[in-house]
Amino acid sequence: MARYAMVMDTRHCIGCHSCTIACKIRNELPTYMIYNPVTTDGPHGTFPHLNMLFLPLLCMHCDNSPCVDACPTGASVQTENGIVHVVDKKCVGCLSCIMACPYGARYHNHETGAVNKCNFCLDRVEEGMRPHCVETCHQKARIFGDLDDPNSEVSKLISENRSFQLLQELNTDPCVFYIY
Amino acid sequence: MSEKHQTWGWMLAVDFFFAGMGGAMLIVAAIIDLFIGKNQISVLANIVGPLCMSVGCGFLILELGRPLQAWRVFMNPKAILTFGAWMMTFAIISGFVYASFGIDFGLFFWRDWGFLRQLLALVNLVTGLVVATYPGVLLGRHKGRPFWVGPAIMGLFLLSSLVTALALHLLCAMIAPVEGSVLNNLPKLLAALLLAQGLLWAGYLWIKASGTTAAEAASAQRWISGDLSKRFKISFMLLGTLLPLVMFLIPVSLFQGLATLLVLFGGVTMRMMTVTSGNDRTFLPGELQYRSRLPHGHERFLKKNWI
Repeated sequence: MARYAMVMDTRHCIGCHSCTIACKIRNELPTYMIYNPVTTDGPHGTFPHLNMLFLPLLCMHCDNSPCVDACPTGASVQTENGIVHVVDKKCVGCLSCIMACPYGARYHNHETGAVNKCNFCLDRVEEGMRPHCVETCHQKARIFGDLDDPNSEVSKLISENRSFQLLQELNTDPCVFYIY
Repeated sequence: MSEKHQTWGWMLAVDFFFAGMGGAMLIVAAIIDLFIGKNQISVLANIVGPLCMSVGCGFLILELGRPLQAWRVFMNPKAILTFGAWMMTFAIISGFVYASFGIDFGLFFWRDWGFLRQLLALVNLVTGLVVATYPGVLLGRHKGRPFWVGPAIMGLFLLSSLVTALALHLLCAMIAPVEGSVLNNLPKLLAALLLAQGLLWAGYLWIKASGTTAAEAASAQRWISGDLSKRFKISFMLLGTLLPLVMFLIPVSLFQGLATLLVLFGGVTMRMMTVTSGNDRTFLPGELQYRSRLPHGHERFLKKNWI
């Protein structure tokens, strides 16, 4: 069984927000819901030693996901291949998962009353395609693949480059890696 | 971007208040029944305890995005919210049946079954303790919410539940007095617990502000000198803790009655502020700046018809 993960190559990301827009259009998200914002970290340092990076954020599909543990209805689930998603009909909108998620990756849909989030475009992945944001990224800064396969592009990128995970100290074991 | 309904709101704080207070009322009644003697507490107080928890449940259901599907919260035994929901249900049922022992009504044929009464008191003690404690446990486990994270919030919530429950027991005893009741000694105990509450909250904020992460320090600063400081200092510390502490030491029923109301006001204020503080997450690099630039939803360009 695959363990899907995403690698963000911050050396290539130019902060164009194409992924944000692509995701919003594909999922028909209202204004207040942004599954994958791209933030700007920096600039840090003093001239001429400055650095800045664009940080594409999304659900980290954590191995030790606090949102799944917090859900009282069993609507938040993690598939065998690691993708965390919400079964809409089971969600009662208690917001426990929103409060439990340290990454702010979940949103309360005011129209349906349920909670929505990035699911790595589960329907596309099940058909062997890549998530829409990955497909859209013209800089190839988003790489999607199987973490358990040592020959996959994501595994190679992580092993061959310096990488970090966000809020690693919380022991959520996120499956989104940032290389720099 | 609108943050409306993206975090828990005031109704959950009110649920925590009523549920915690109701649960702790069961604890007090059970301890008195099991270890001191029966017929010390009025029927009114025994009914008000589970009633408070029922009101709390009502607010919890109203807080849901899909209130008509509230039954689903009982479905995941691994979730602490599910555990809390089951415990609250057991406590409410057990509490009401326990209260029925004091009601002279023919259909309550079990009124003379002393063993059942004591068994229910024991159930009330356990479930009441869980209900009074679990909001603190629920909040303290949130890794990404700097003001809540850690075990100390559990103790503060339990203490506040006990203080408000004792205050409501005292109020019930004033409305429906029970002669020779141990509750007549409550005001001094309440004053001592209020002193402990004031000291523990001051210590909690001082530790959060000085001995933890930057995010936790920032969240505590909101209470010390930020937007929540007036509510904390005036509504909770002065009106909800110190003033009733003094009033409980004055042996005048009017003062003590008013003090109980102030304690309840302090309890609900504390929970409102605590839940509000949970809106502060440990933000990711650049996230706060990013979100501050998003539209709020009322901008003209969003309302204009561009086609």
